[in-house]
Amino acid sequence: MGKLTNAVYEIHVLDEMAERDTGINQVHPLVKLIVTVVYITCAVSFDKYNLLGLLPFLIYPLILFELAGISIKSCIKKLKVVLPLVCFIGLFNPVFDHTPLFKIGNIIITGGIISMVTLIMKGTYALMASFLLVATTGIEKICYALKLLHLPSIIVTQILLTYRYITVLLSEANAVFQAYSLRAPRENGVKYKIWGSLIGQLLFRSMDRAGNLYDSMLLRGFQGEFYYARSQKGSGSDYVYLFSWLGIFIALRLINITGYLKVFF
Amino acid sequence: MIKMIQHFIECRNISFSYEKFSQVKFSYENGKEVLKDVSFKTDGKEAVGIIGANGVGKSTLLRILVGLELNFTGEVLVEQIPVTKKSLPEIRSKIGYLFQDSDNQLFNQTVYNDVAFGPRNYGLEEEEVEKRVMKALGTMGITHLRDKQIYKMSGGEKKMASIATILAMEPDIILLDEPSIALDPKNRRALINTLNSLDYVKLIASHDLDMILETCDRVILLAEGRIIREGITELILRDKELLEAYGLELPLCLRGYQGRKR
Repeated sequence: MGKLTNAVYEIHVLDEMAERDTGINQVHPLVKLIVTVVYITCAVSFDKYNLLGLLPFLIYPLILFELAGISIKSCIKKLKVVLPLVCFIGLFNPVFDHTPLFKIGNIIITGGIISMVTLIMKGTYALMASFLLVATTGIEKICYALKLLHLPSIIVTQILLTYRYITVLLSEANAVFQAYSLRAPRENGVKYKIWGSLIGQLLFRSMDRAGNLYDSMLLRGFQGEFYYARSQKGSGSDYVYLFSWLGIFIALRLINITGYLKVFF
Repeated sequence: MIKMIQHFIECRNISFSYEKFSQVKFSYENGKEVLKDVSFKTDGKEAVGIIGANGVGKSTLLRILVGLELNFTGEVLVEQIPVTKKSLPEIRSKIGYLFQDSDNQLFNQTVYNDVAFGPRNYGLEEEEVEKRVMKALGTMGITHLRDKQIYKMSGGEKKMASIATILAMEPDIILLDEPSIALDPKNRRALINTLNSLDYVKLIASHDLDMILETCDRVILLAEGRIIREGITELILRDKELLEAYGLELPLCLRGYQGRKR
């Protein structure tokens, strides 16, 4: 039951992080969005056996965590729901791919193991980069950036409202499950027999709340399009930030840095 | 020549029932006639209290006035403009509506963004938006909450911020649905003082008869979807027999403390 309260709280904490006044929060949202997309594209484009090529890409999240003053631990904590899924997908690679690649002592490292590790790394990088984007920008500014990219406003509004309604759904679920647990103190979970009526109740309540919120928006002139906070103009430092990261990503993608480093060891 | 408006709101023979298989409302009232032949009008910039027991149609009446329910029969005029689907944008620019539950009113991250939501939708320049937001927050005495995250606010703060969201749109009329609900005495007092200082046409639906007594010039008593009595606040709220006949009681301040009955 407490998990739902925590989930709502975590979303609010994320929103709060985005409202802070750090240097990275001040970077233009479009710049941060482009950097994130290019980073993820470069990271996932590596060959499934190219573990060493992927390693240097860790530099981006590490620097951003430092600049934004966000602890890696808190990020991992928030991603712990999705990370097992990423691991699960890669789990079958060692079963199907037995191509021997190299040996560590007497242990043969197969292609399946390496591809599993690269898959997990790619997933983790993508999740961390997305988390950092949301935590340093906020969903409203991300949507503003998407609008600048001329994404259809109906899609942008859908993204924004979906994000907003997650908290509505979680709050309602929390209220329903709390009411249940208070009257069923000896049970650890919800009895399977009443899952149906509970979910139905949750659906109706969420729809009602969502309807009220939508009414509130309509009454204040909403006509299907969000008008975001003041338009932000790109400054010189935004360009420096953008081109520096793009340069680093392209260099890391094209040059085998770890190969050069091997010379020193 | 400036046109003087005498009746900001005019309802002529309003009847309303929720559709039996409405797609959006899951209400116990489906199919039941909620309002029957309701007619009234406001006179100048007055404050009107709408009172009545639970389920008599107070909230529904307010929802009709802002066009949230349109399948009514009869005629509703807001500043002489009939409430129809076509006229809604114009009507809604003139009316501010306060929801019973502030969590339904506030949906942005911060107070500033929520109060700015309305003015931005009406295409105002950001400078003008900021002016309006600060003015609304100033009127409600909550400028210090400007950048506060809404989820961190108390019920009283949320209510004040909710009223600020409607004031920022600079309406002529404000409709308030149970504004004092869930407020502690201090916040309730602040709300009453604020309502009395606002120079708008006000329609306040509430069970809090003490608040109605302190804020409204006139009262409309609803029961079973009909207007039972309409008149000067003090006259109606002092009528013990009338109030008790329709599921209400005298306001606390008029009752006097008679000790706990055992």
